[in-house]
Amino acid sequence: MSSKTPTIRRYGDSAILIDYDVPGYSDRVHTRLNHLARTLRAQTMWQEVVPSYKSILCVFDLAAISLTQAQEKIEETLKNLSRSPKTKGKVIEIPVVYGGQYGPDMAAIKKSSGLNQSQVIDLHSGQDYRVCMMGFIPGFCFLSEVPESLQHPRHDTPRANVPAGSVGIAGWQTGIYGLDSPGGWQIIGRTPLKLFDTTRENLFLMEAGDTLRFIPSSKALFS
Amino acid sequence: MIEVLNGGTRATIQDAGRPGYRHLGIPQSGAADKLSFALANWMAGNRWDAPAIECALGGLHLRFKDSTTIALAGAEMWAQINGQNVKNFTAMRVEKGDILTLSFARDGCRSYIAIAGGLKVAEFMGSASTYLPAEFGGFEGRALRTGDTLTISNRPREAPRKIPQGYTPRLSRHIVLRARSAAEWEDLDKPSQRHLFVSPFHASAATDRMGSRLRGDRIQTSKNLSMTSSPLLPGTLQVPPDGQPILMLVDGHCTGGYPRALQIIRADLWLLGQIAPGSQVSFRRCFTDQPPQILQARNSFYGGLIDGFAF
Repeated sequence: MSSKTPTIRRYGDSAILIDYDVPGYSDRVHTRLNHLARTLRAQTMWQEVVPSYKSILCVFDLAAISLTQAQEKIEETLKNLSRSPKTKGKVIEIPVVYGGQYGPDMAAIKKSSGLNQSQVIDLHSGQDYRVCMMGFIPGFCFLSEVPESLQHPRHDTPRANVPAGSVGIAGWQTGIYGLDSPGGWQIIGRTPLKLFDTTRENLFLMEAGDTLRFIPSSKALFS
Repeated sequence: MIEVLNGGTRATIQDAGRPGYRHLGIPQSGAADKLSFALANWMAGNRWDAPAIECALGGLHLRFKDSTTIALAGAEMWAQINGQNVKNFTAMRVEKGDILTLSFARDGCRSYIAIAGGLKVAEFMGSASTYLPAEFGGFEGRALRTGDTLTISNRPREAPRKIPQGYTPRLSRHIVLRARSAAEWEDLDKPSQRHLFVSPFHASAATDRMGSRLRGDRIQTSKNLSMTSSPLLPGTLQVPPDGQPILMLVDGHCTGGYPRALQIIRADLWLLGQIAPGSQVSFRRCFTDQPPQILQARNSFYGGLIDGFAF
């Protein structure tokens, strides 16, 4: 099965890419991949272990080990990988104000799905999501699949500024912006929670593997 | 103390960066041209990774409130002290009240000013490096501006040093980068694969510490790839649908959704920091057995001079 046997490829001269070639989102692949990333991060030879939806990039010091040695270490780790622990991580509730000034792309989602606003809100907040990966900027969380009728491509031209806390959709992905940033996702709402805060002891509100639940809230949240 | 009379185009405090946090969306940052940065510190008598000032493009003016030793390295910016020309890639004594001015980058993009003892900066996640998009690290998480006062640290240091012949990097407005294929190389169409290694590109105005948008021959994939967000590294060349590649730099996004065509070899990553808007950028193919040899030779050359330094 593809979730058990990823392909291992060289990426430049100092990195190895572990690639799970699956279409769309797979909870099983995500669980396996997250477990593998944690296992690799516990090994001291990697300078970076960067997981994403379907792949993990491992960076090593080419002055210390060769590409072949790095590749063999990964093959060995995969072979000896224990069963993935069954964990849902922390469950985090995210209050969200949907639509209006906080969700400028709600109209586009309503139009493409043929649903009214409360149906869109019910669908988007009606299921739990896994935190699949963090990045591309500090605090941004990439979540598991949205219901099919809500899936919508990115904007052709990204917005110059998307406010921190914005909840967006890109294809089957949904996520929350951790900082004010340029971005191309369809924005349907916003949370006042700070996903990344340098003044807080826990810099990040969540980590990969956690479970996230959206709670529809009133505009009063921002006043 | 050092007073900032003019912050210039963009000057930030950088050190060796904060590697190891890309899985959290935090890039390593640090000096964009690690080699010039390390040489500046070495000349000033510091450890190679002491916090120093990185000045992009130019325009930085500083007044020294104490006598000290400084060193300049990186792009030639026609530096002057009190109106008198001073040489790049040298260490020099400055007296209380002296004013250092940098003009405009002639042959690269970034100049480094190291101060004997280093700068005193609070560390964030183990590094003094400024990361502007999230406003942390360095001096209040931002670029230097008029009126800022920098504090000189009292780290242990050696006497000022002079770069031996042959160690000064040659910079120019034509940056040549050696590269290996990255994850989606095979998905490029054949003409694009050829163009990447024969046609020079130009760095557009959209060039900063995050990345450089290149202009040149259109680079495209043979079919429309629908990608989910995937990992990126500094030195990854991404190809968005408009065909104009983006070269990722030290502050670049940790993941992205565009095909990844090339990865610059580790020994050449320092050169990314010297790409200025308008620079010509060329890629050269590097075969499998070359990068370890190149890296080993470069590490033993500069590591033999600068204690603890490696590319």
